[in-house]
Amino acid sequence: MVRVKHRYLVVNFLYPTATTNASSKGPVPEFIQFHHPTSDQLTHGLLLKSIRDGVSELFGDYGAGVVSTGLKINYLSTATSTMIIRCPRSHYQLVWAALTFMTKLPKPINQPVVVKIVRVSGTIRKAEEEVIRRAQAIIDRAKTAQGSNRDTDPVVGNIVKAAIRRKEANVLVEIDEGSESEASEE
Amino acid sequence: MFYDLNVPWTEKNDRELQRTIAFLDELGYDVVALTHTISGKIPSDLTCPIPQTLPFPTPPRLTLLRRCTILLSDTATNHRIPQLIPHYDILAARPKDEKTLRLACETLDVDMVSLDLTLRFPVHFKFKMLSAAIARGVKIELCYSQGVLASDASARRNLINNVTQLIRVTRGRGLLLSSEARSVLGIRAPSDVINLCSVWGLGKERGKDGITKEPRSVVEFAKLKRTSYRGAINVIYGGDKPAPEVQGKDKAQRANVEQQRKRKAESAPMGQGGENQPLSNREKKRREKKARLGENTSREGSGETTRMVE
Repeated sequence: MVRVKHRYLVVNFLYPTATTNASSKGPVPEFIQFHHPTSDQLTHGLLLKSIRDGVSELFGDYGAGVVSTGLKINYLSTATSTMIIRCPRSHYQLVWAALTFMTKLPKPINQPVVVKIVRVSGTIRKAEEEVIRRAQAIIDRAKTAQGSNRDTDPVVGNIVKAAIRRKEANVLVEIDEGSESEASEE
Repeated sequence: MFYDLNVPWTEKNDRELQRTIAFLDELGYDVVALTHTISGKIPSDLTCPIPQTLPFPTPPRLTLLRRCTILLSDTATNHRIPQLIPHYDILAARPKDEKTLRLACETLDVDMVSLDLTLRFPVHFKFKMLSAAIARGVKIELCYSQGVLASDASARRNLINNVTQLIRVTRGRGLLLSSEARSVLGIRAPSDVINLCSVWGLGKERGKDGITKEPRSVVEFAKLKRTSYRGAINVIYGGDKPAPEVQGKDKAQRANVEQQRKRKAESAPMGQGGENQPLSNREKKRREKKARLGENTSREGSGETTRMVE
């Protein structure tokens, strides 16, 4: 069966300038401030429009035309600042570049933001799994940060440090390059 | 390992810098270089103004380096650049026009050439010039942040123009990518940068090299230049001392190793230097011979004197 091929981008909004008010337990760790929840005013429509504008600003009418057919926001969670964007497979890099050049959320919110692509996937199922995995990872990190604040045992601290040591595969985005049928077989 | 070799450092803005460094760590960078820029003439005080340990806590897994960018405005006043080498981890040159670019590429003793890509260069980049730089191991730096943060379209246009020109001229070789982010918002994650490069025509593999392999070669080469013997040999690990009972002696030896070294030159001709070491056969023979000859000469000498007296 022939069908239209897509790519699903899992996108994270990061807020490097956001300042959360210090709680009673002391200062909030910085990575939690970076993963600040997004304002609820952000809607699918606003975001879609800003992405379209970004693509047409960078790549002109050609880019806007090529991208517009398959562009859709499948999932937007303001609490975790995560979304899944569907875009045509042949031109997902244009959408990615447009998101990279985004520095602010659209008009009524106007909050400075850094957009980070977390995963490029051929199927929405994989994208959703990645969203869940990320959310869990952040919760785990927050817990370990809290724990390490509480007991300042150096041995425990070292173990935690070793556990959160990163590898290249964790930093770089995993990109499904094969055709979609392969990816969807799994 | 991901590298961002250009984070501008300013004297006062500690809060912002701390944010920037924490954010770089969050995005997955491992090595970050703080840049101090020298414009115009090189000042008489060469010491690096960036403190060795910053006044705020930094993420434990991040390595911080200190880098100096020299703005080259004319070709005459650069004779003091080699003196800067011991004070910084990396040296970079930022040429303004074709003449200084040629100088930086072909002769200047720097680790990389960094161009201000938001300006429009009046002439085309020449392959001969840039390939000379790459052949010497001097990399070309591309800074993306001005393009990301640019409010006017012309700066971004110039940046893309220059980047594509440089990619064409260098055939994608010897390019490294860094942020030069004046604010924390100009920083992007490694994957985003790689994608940006692939959109600009560099390709994914080369883009990845530009953020991992090329800057690593710059850092390691610069380190080798500063610590090693003639940039060729560096002792990383000299091995353990085997016998535990000798250790006390070893410590004492190490303590006045400097003195010994100095004394060696004086004491060696007097024949006291090699007392502790076992003698080689050759040395033994030589000494025996010497002793024999000494006896002879003294005897002869005494004989002579007696003869003289006679």
